[in-house]
Amino acid sequence: MSEEVLIREFAGLNAPYYARTFGVIQSSTRQTWTLNVGAMLFGALWAGARGLWFLFYLLVFLDIAALAPVVLALHGRGNPDLSARVQQLEETVAKRRTEAETALAEGNASKSATSTKLADNLQKVADAARADVSVNAAGTTERLVLGLVAFGLARLGLGFAANPIYERRYTVWRATRNLPHGMPLHRIAIASMLTATIYGILLFSMTSTSVPDWLINFPVAKTWYEAVKDWLDAGFVAVYAAGKGFFEGVRNLIRILVDSLEGGLVKTPWPVVALVICTAAWQLAGWRTAVFTAAALAYLGLFGFWELSMQTVALLGAASILCILLGIPLGVWFARSRTAFHVAQPVLDFMQTMPAFVYLIPVIAFFGTGKPPGIIATLIFGMPPVIRLTTLGLRGVPEDVKEAARAYGATEWQVLTGVELPLALPSIMTGINQTILMCLSMVVIASLIGAQGLGSVVLQSLQYAAKGQGLLAGLAILLCAMVIDRIVQGSFRKRD
Amino acid sequence: MNDLAIEMSGVWKIFGVQSAAALIDAQAGASKTDILTRYRCVVGIADASISVRRGEIFCIMGLSGSGKSTLVRHVNRLIEPSAGTIQVLGQDVRALSAAALRALRAERIGMVFQHMALLPHRSVQDNVAYPLELRGTAKATRWHISREKLKLVGLTGYEDRFPKELSGGMQQRVGLARALAADPDILLMDEPFSALDPLIRRQLQDQFMALSLKLGKTTLFITHDLDEAIRLGHRIAIMKDGRIVQTGTPEQIVTQPADEYVRDFVHNISKLGLIFARTVMEPLAKVLAVQFFDVTAAPKASPESNLEDLIDIAAGAQHPVVIQDGGVSVGAITKDRLLIAIKEGK
Repeated sequence: MSEEVLIREFAGLNAPYYARTFGVIQSSTRQTWTLNVGAMLFGALWAGARGLWFLFYLLVFLDIAALAPVVLALHGRGNPDLSARVQQLEETVAKRRTEAETALAEGNASKSATSTKLADNLQKVADAARADVSVNAAGTTERLVLGLVAFGLARLGLGFAANPIYERRYTVWRATRNLPHGMPLHRIAIASMLTATIYGILLFSMTSTSVPDWLINFPVAKTWYEAVKDWLDAGFVAVYAAGKGFFEGVRNLIRILVDSLEGGLVKTPWPVVALVICTAAWQLAGWRTAVFTAAALAYLGLFGFWELSMQTVALLGAASILCILLGIPLGVWFARSRTAFHVAQPVLDFMQTMPAFVYLIPVIAFFGTGKPPGIIATLIFGMPPVIRLTTLGLRGVPEDVKEAARAYGATEWQVLTGVELPLALPSIMTGINQTILMCLSMVVIASLIGAQGLGSVVLQSLQYAAKGQGLLAGLAILLCAMVIDRIVQGSFRKRD
Repeated sequence: MNDLAIEMSGVWKIFGVQSAAALIDAQAGASKTDILTRYRCVVGIADASISVRRGEIFCIMGLSGSGKSTLVRHVNRLIEPSAGTIQVLGQDVRALSAAALRALRAERIGMVFQHMALLPHRSVQDNVAYPLELRGTAKATRWHISREKLKLVGLTGYEDRFPKELSGGMQQRVGLARALAADPDILLMDEPFSALDPLIRRQLQDQFMALSLKLGKTTLFITHDLDEAIRLGHRIAIMKDGRIVQTGTPEQIVTQPADEYVRDFVHNISKLGLIFARTVMEPLAKVLAVQFFDVTAAPKASPESNLEDLIDIAAGAQHPVVIQDGGVSVGAITKDRLLIAIKEGK
């Protein structure tokens, strides 16, 4: 298709003009200066009608920034909020000064000193605010001129920038053809309506003396909020009542797991545990990691964190085991079913981005406090990586290798266990490692609901501002994480 | 049992959600683009029929997207056909249960893939033994057979290496050994040598031909390289846009292309090896009438000699080449005649 026909289709209205300017732009190797009068006059409206929406919003923002002071200056209403604030501040200062005097009269020197100090501080704030007000009042003309100049410059800039921008859009449109083009009536209507609404409401709220409250503050549906909140409260109670057996069962299962792990780690004499951990580190990840592990364990033991860290490791172990047991099958499922994956994707995002404190609430509601709920809260945060990376790993298994297995008569189960999982193993192991470390980062938060371990020491330090204790316990957690990470990573690196 | 190993007739494959409706239209004669715009379905295979005899090397040649890889996957039903019948070794493949299909794949059909598709986490030996392992063969037997097959492809001594330690050509030989592991009746080779560089490709082709002469397996060989098809194939089917345009021996394809498309293909192929004395020769009497010569002193060739051989024979000789079949002179070729044949054959 010829250039002209294309430009006519793209530009719609005023096509000959654009054919000419695009020609100028395209035949020059340097920046060209053509003034688009239409764009300069109509501003945002031009951009909107031409379908350049990003430019539209940018221009609306610039217009408001440049013209708002002009409108305010013309309307001559200063900033009532600022004056009111100055007045309020001065009243408080006066009140504090009286308080100070009364206190001094009563012979309470310290209270008087506090009040005076407060008053002095407030006075500074008030002075600053007053300076603002006076600047506001004094600079009316300057701001009027400045605003108008800024507006004019912005429009002039747009006038010169419009054609190059529109030409670039044309280049992209040629190749993709799915961008808005031409100047259809409906787009002109939308752009006009948007412009009229935005500028109209702004102008009204800035100039009118009786702006209705709903225009300033979003109308709150207090009754709706109450209703939904009550409904949720009732829902929690009902769900707990209905699933009491289930929740208790889960709680007990997790308790058995964590208790047996903790029994093994805490009740076994420390030299045995330390020896096993150090030799395992040596065998799995080499002597460097073993030396580091020994040093870390010595720190934990000498500073009296041994039992607490073993509790933490038991907690972490239980959480990680559950994450892996649940996460890998889920990952496999999401890799196989596109629908399940699409449903799960937002849930996984939600699990990772939701602040832990928020889901502690339902966890407490259903599972109470103690170690099992702590582990459940940890699961929610720690499981996504292993699920995601299992899915990712399985998705990355080359299609032809799977096909080869099928061509040799493999069942779907044989394809999964013999081809997919082994080939996805690096990815799955990365997921497991990430999951373990994320679980560890949850131990402090889990201790909020009574999960004990090193986290509880940090929590305690936080409550009593015990800086030394808090730092030492934090370092203990860090060392636990590093030891686990080094052993897992090292064992994996050694393999290939 | 007949002498056909693979028989496909009227096979259609249409990809897409509305494939059932699209099939009816396509069978009624709607074009590929019509089907795409109307049903958003892609016609993979359109009414393809081939029959491969036992022991034959049957090449399917076509450019990428012509449906040749799709077609070969219908033999072991890695792809379900939309319509048509597929008989493999006397069994109706479409009627097989899942278990019977797995048994067919494991025991009767071996497959070699373009990108080898070896299992990177298993040793060469375990890769070759994989089809046997799937069928639950004991490890000792597996390894024994595996060593045997590796010897067959000349990879003795590489049993305990990993695929990534081997070169591309060697990896593909492992792929071939794996395909032979279960001693199948049929080999499906999906562009096995395409990913290799030309020298290695040539070597593997020679090795494959020697092996196939020895084993006599029915082979369905997919390639996008007409030279390769002519070198290896007893018969060749040429595919375009999911249809089979022509089926025939290399000679038929080269000398009697069915349409413009095939003609374009064979245009650059040297036909010297595919034109034989029997089609070029003139009656001996006619030659003698023009130019008398001593028949006993003239060089001799058989009717099955191709032009390349004839050039060698005629090069140093004084007289026209006499063509003899079983000691009887059946014709003669003068140098002029030979030159004309070479010119036409180019």
